[in-house]
Amino acid sequence: MVFNSYTFVAFFVIMLVLHNLPIPWKAKKVNLLIASYVFYAAWNPPFILLLWLSTVVDFFVGRALYTQPNKNKRRLLLVVSLIGNLGMLCFFKYGGFILENFVHITNALGLDYHPAKPNIILPAGISFYTFTTLCYTIDMYKKKSKPVKSLLDFSLFVTFFPHLVAGPIVRPPQLVPQFETEHKATRQQLLDGLMLLSLGLFMKVVCADALLAKTADTIFGAGRPIGPLDAWAGVLAFSGQIFFDFAGYSTSAIGVAMCLGFILPQNFLYPYAAIGFSDFWRRWHITLSAWLRDYLYIPLGGNRQGRFRTYINVMITMLIGGLWHGANWTFVAWGGLHGVYLWAEKALKDSRAKTSGAAGDGGVPEPIDDGVAPAPVIATASMGPDLTTKRPAGFLYALLTFLLICITWVFFRSATFGGAALMLLSMFGRIPPAGPPVLTTAAIIKVGVVITLMLAFHWSMRNTTVLKTAGKMPWWLTGTIWAVMLILIILSQETSKAFIYFQF
Amino acid sequence: MQTHLTGKSAVLAVVIVLAFFVSWELYLRHKGAVPDYDDGPELWAHTRAMVYEPSDKATVFIGSSRIKYDLDIPTWESLTGNHAIQLSMVGSSPRHFLTDLADDTNFKGKLVVDVTEVLFFSMRGNESPDAGIAYYKHRTPAQKVSFILDKPIEARLVFLNEGQYSINAMLGKLHIPDRPGVYPFLDFPPGFEPVMFNRQDVMTADFVADTNQHNQVKAIWALLKGDPTPPMSGKPLDTVMLSVKRDVDKIKARGGDVVFTRTPSNGFFLMAEQHMYPRKAYWDRLLKETGCKGFYYADYHTTADLQCPEFSHLTPKDAVVYTKTLIGLIAKEKGWVHAKTADNLSN
Repeated sequence: MVFNSYTFVAFFVIMLVLHNLPIPWKAKKVNLLIASYVFYAAWNPPFILLLWLSTVVDFFVGRALYTQPNKNKRRLLLVVSLIGNLGMLCFFKYGGFILENFVHITNALGLDYHPAKPNIILPAGISFYTFTTLCYTIDMYKKKSKPVKSLLDFSLFVTFFPHLVAGPIVRPPQLVPQFETEHKATRQQLLDGLMLLSLGLFMKVVCADALLAKTADTIFGAGRPIGPLDAWAGVLAFSGQIFFDFAGYSTSAIGVAMCLGFILPQNFLYPYAAIGFSDFWRRWHITLSAWLRDYLYIPLGGNRQGRFRTYINVMITMLIGGLWHGANWTFVAWGGLHGVYLWAEKALKDSRAKTSGAAGDGGVPEPIDDGVAPAPVIATASMGPDLTTKRPAGFLYALLTFLLICITWVFFRSATFGGAALMLLSMFGRIPPAGPPVLTTAAIIKVGVVITLMLAFHWSMRNTTVLKTAGKMPWWLTGTIWAVMLILIILSQETSKAFIYFQF
Repeated sequence: MQTHLTGKSAVLAVVIVLAFFVSWELYLRHKGAVPDYDDGPELWAHTRAMVYEPSDKATVFIGSSRIKYDLDIPTWESLTGNHAIQLSMVGSSPRHFLTDLADDTNFKGKLVVDVTEVLFFSMRGNESPDAGIAYYKHRTPAQKVSFILDKPIEARLVFLNEGQYSINAMLGKLHIPDRPGVYPFLDFPPGFEPVMFNRQDVMTADFVADTNQHNQVKAIWALLKGDPTPPMSGKPLDTVMLSVKRDVDKIKARGGDVVFTRTPSNGFFLMAEQHMYPRKAYWDRLLKETGCKGFYYADYHTTADLQCPEFSHLTPKDAVVYTKTLIGLIAKEKGWVHAKTADNLSN
C-alpha cells in the first residue's frame, strides 16, 4: 500500500478512529500490528510469511544472544541470525545478480554455462526491515541494550507500518519504549502529523511524479546521444525526483506515525544544502548512513587504525552502501564515486589540519542525533568550518557539492555503464546529438523552476525544520500554504505511483 | 509569539481547498466539460479481467483508437445481448494484446481485432499495451481497492480529468514554443476524447458541431506526416505476419475465434494509408496468412461513405451505423452473435 493512494486514505482514517477508541493499550497494539500486516499484505500477501519468519527468529535469537553466557554459543547464534537475515536478502535481492556474475566469470573462463534466468520477485522493503532486525540482534550480541520483553512489542517494532517499507530505519531504543506505555497523539501532534503528511505527499505527488519524473524518464530512456541542455535537464530532474520521492516518503511516514502519537527519527535534513560530502551524508538518508557507520564502518575499525585503513574503511562502507541500493554494478559505482569524493574531502581536510595544527576527523558520517526531536543541524561544515557562516562562499560550495552529486546520480539512474557514459558525454558536450532535441520548453522550465526553488529552500532551511518554520509564520499564511499544497496534490492527478525506494 | 501550528491554519486550509474545488468544478461544468474516466492501466486491467466470460456471452475487441470510437457498445450490447469487452488503447498497436490473449490458456473467447495499418504493421506503439499488461499481471490488492474507491469519485467530478485538467495538461496547453524538432504536447480538445467506464470514447455534441475543433485534431494528425519512418516491409513484415498467425492459431486451437476489421478513415489520413499500406500487400495478406475473416469498411455500402469529422474517428451517430453493420456481418459470416435483424443490418 502506498501513502499516495485512495486505499491508504481509507486505511488511515480507519486507523485513526480505532487508535482513539477507549480500549486497553494492548488491544490497540494488537490492532496496530494487524493493521501493519494488512498494510504490507496489500502489496503481496505471501511475502508476509518472510516478515513473520524474520520477526520470530530474531526475537528469540536476540533474547538468547543476550542471556547466553557461553561465548561460542553466542557467536553461533549471531551467525544464525546473520545467515538468516542476510541469506534472505541475498536470495531475493541479489540472487539474480550473483548468478549473472557467476555466469560471466564461468564464460570468461571458457566454460559454456547458461542457466535459466531466475524469476525472483523482490519483496517490498526487504532491505529496510532486514537492517531493522539486524541491528537488534547485533545490539543484543554486544549487549548494547536490553532485549525486548514481549513478542508483540518486537513484532510491532519490526512491522510498524509507517516505517516498514521504506524507512526511516529505526533502532529498538527509538521505538520499543514508545510501545511500552500508551501513546495517543495530542492535538498538536495530530496537527503537526497532518502537516507533515501533506508536505510528504506534496513532495512525492507534485514535485517528484508530476513535475520531474517524466523528464528524467524520457532523458534516461533516450538511448542515444543528446544535447547538453537536454542531458543536464534530465539529470537535474532526477536529482530532484529522487530527493522528493524518498524524502517525501520519509516525511509522510513521520507524519503518519505522529498522527498516531509515535515519533520516528528524521531521515533528511535539506541534503542539497550540504557543504561537502560528509555533510551530505549527515543530511541524506540519515538513518541508513548512521546504520552503516555503527554496524559496518566502526566494526571495520573506523578511523582508529591509521590513515590508510580509514580510507579503505570509508571506501568499503560506501561500496556496500551502494550495493544495498540495488543489485547492479552501477549502484556500486555510485557508492564508489561517493567514496572517492569523501577521500578527496578528507585529504583536503587533513592537509588543512596539518597546516593549522589541528586533527582531522574520520571522513564518514559522524553521529547525529536521530532521537525524538529533529536532529540538531551540523554547525560545522566538512570542507571548511568557517564557510557556513560566510553565506555567499558557503552557498557556492553547496552548489558545487550539489553539482558533483548530480554526477553520481547518473550512475544511480542508468541501467548500464554504457548508458551512464552516454549521459556523461552528452552532459559535457563530448558527443554530438544523434537526433532532434528531446524536451519541450515547458519541461525544461519545470525542471529549472523546481530545482531552483528546491536549492533555495534547502539553503534557507538548513538550520531549521519545517514545523518550526510553519509554527513561526502567521496562522493565515501557514493555512494558505497548506491549502496550496493540497490543491496541487489533487490537481496533479498522478495515479498511485510506487516510491522509488520500495525497490531497494 | 506563536511557535507551533494552530488549528486555525488547518481550518483555513480546508476552507480554501473546498472553495477552490467547488468553484473550479462549477466553472468547468459551465464551460460544457463532462466527467469521464482516466483511460489508464487501472481501467484497462479492470476490463482485461473480464475476458474469461463464456465465449457465447462476450466478445473481446482489441485495436487502436478507431475501434474505441467506432464500436458503440450500448448498440452492440442491446442488439446482441452480448457483452463487448473493449481492450483497445489509443495510439497503440494491438499486436501485444493479441499475444497476451493467445498466451493466456484460460482465454477461449471471440476476438475482434481492429487494424490501423500505421500502428498494426509497426514496431512502435507497444509501450502503453505493455504497461497495461504488466499492470494487470502485477496488480496488488491495494491497487484493486484503490480502483474501486477511485472510480465513483472520478465519475462525478469534471476536474479529475487527467488529460485536460491536470497540472501537466494545463501547462501543456500554454503552448510555449519549442525548439525545432521537439515532439510537442498534443492538445486534443476536451470534447474529442471523453472516455466511458466501458472504455468507449465518445465525442461530445459540442465537438461534433465545431469545425474549429475538428481542425485542431487534424493539425495533430498532420504531425504524423512528418514521421520519416518508412512502412514496414520485407523480413520485419514477414515476422509480424508470422507472429500474428501463431497467436491466432493458438486461440483457435482452444476453441476461440478471431476476425479482423478495418474501420473508416478519410481525407489525407486515408490517402496516406492507401499509399503507404496498399490493401493487397497488407490487409489481404493478413487475412490470407491467418485464415481469418475480415471486414473492410469500404466493402459495405452502409459504411463505405461514413465520414470522420477529423479524418480518423466516427461521430457517436455514425458509430451506431458502423456497429450495426459489424453486428450484421459477424452474425451472418461467423454466427457469434444473434441479432434478430442481422440480415438487414449488414446490407
